[in-house]
Amino acid sequence: MNDPLIDLLVADLHPVRPVSPRAAAALVLGATLASVLAVALLFGLRADVMTGAPDPIVVLRSGTLLLLGCASLIAVMGAARPGVGHVATGWKWALAAAALFPLTSLLLSVRGQQWPMAELTSESGPWCLGISASGGILVGTALTLWLKRGAPTSPARAGWLVGLAAGAFGTFSYNLHCPSETVHYIGIWYSAAVVLCAAAGRVIVPRLIRW
Amino acid sequence: MKPDDATLARLMALAQGGDGVAYRALLDACRLWLRRYFERRVLPAGIDDLVQETLVSLHKKRASFDPARPFLPWLAAIARYRWVDHLRLVYRAAETALPPDCAVESDEEAVMARISLGRMLALLPEGQSSAIRLVKIEGLSISEASARCGQSEPLVKVNIHRGLKRLAALIESE
Repeated sequence: MNDPLIDLLVADLHPVRPVSPRAAAALVLGATLASVLAVALLFGLRADVMTGAPDPIVVLRSGTLLLLGCASLIAVMGAARPGVGHVATGWKWALAAAALFPLTSLLLSVRGQQWPMAELTSESGPWCLGISASGGILVGTALTLWLKRGAPTSPARAGWLVGLAAGAFGTFSYNLHCPSETVHYIGIWYSAAVVLCAAAGRVIVPRLIRW
Repeated sequence: MKPDDATLARLMALAQGGDGVAYRALLDACRLWLRRYFERRVLPAGIDDLVQETLVSLHKKRASFDPARPFLPWLAAIARYRWVDHLRLVYRAAETALPPDCAVESDEEAVMARISLGRMLALLPEGQSSAIRLVKIEGLSISEASARCGQSEPLVKVNIHRGLKRLAALIESE
């Protein structure tokens, strides 16, 4: 005897394309490039970036942000296609590496017995936060729309990861303009931008992807 | 004969392409598999509902299956997600006892052991797993569970809350 539910599901069957991680990578790449282009057009890129010989600190922070973004993106790709035993953990190591910036800033402040007031009260700080978060919104929106086709079994974790990836790529866009070269500035404002995006991802994304 | 993982993965790949015959065969096999999977982890009266909910989820989320990967770990992740959801909703049902032992006969015991619901519960601290088992799976009241496991009533509630939260985070863990 046929099961009525199975009859219904079979009757509703239509071809579907399996969720593609390449599509997610392409979307994030496109959103990041759009964000870089917007930063370049509105605020301009650093002179050393334009000449192809960036300062070592710019290379270091760009690499860290890209690593964090890519590792988080890979974890989001995994979350979209669930499977017992398939949990990506590389993002934790990338996050730990990124945390070295605020940690170094803190250690320097404690050792020098002086808080980095110039960076804390910097007028460009809130701009850094705003521009990074705007880029993050672009990346996060693209990634969330892609993730809705998937089946994330932990929406909260997926929300953190989407926010983390969005924050990392959004801040990367801003970093190509950012004139500051101090560890304190990176430790404070870049970290704040990534944390803000991650928290926003945790709050907003789960309700959009729950199934 | 029960289809093996490779056969199920092939059927699912065909179903993703719109093959209704393969899809029906897959759903029939999944229904049986899910019934066994949920036995002893849900009150008997709740099994049919949970199996149906999981089949509907399988249908809605079939695009999330990667044909290059094994099928059962994917199905188990979907089933665990629905099970944790079910435990959150179920509080107390009329039935209060499970059959003494409804052993699962399976030729896929190694796979089942790795992806089973019992394994998830085993990853919880004892206090949390026993509170969930007694109240959410066996259907005891908080006070009955408290008397049975020796935890205070507020502690049973806290352990259920924390345990369900942790279970939700463990869905894809082995």
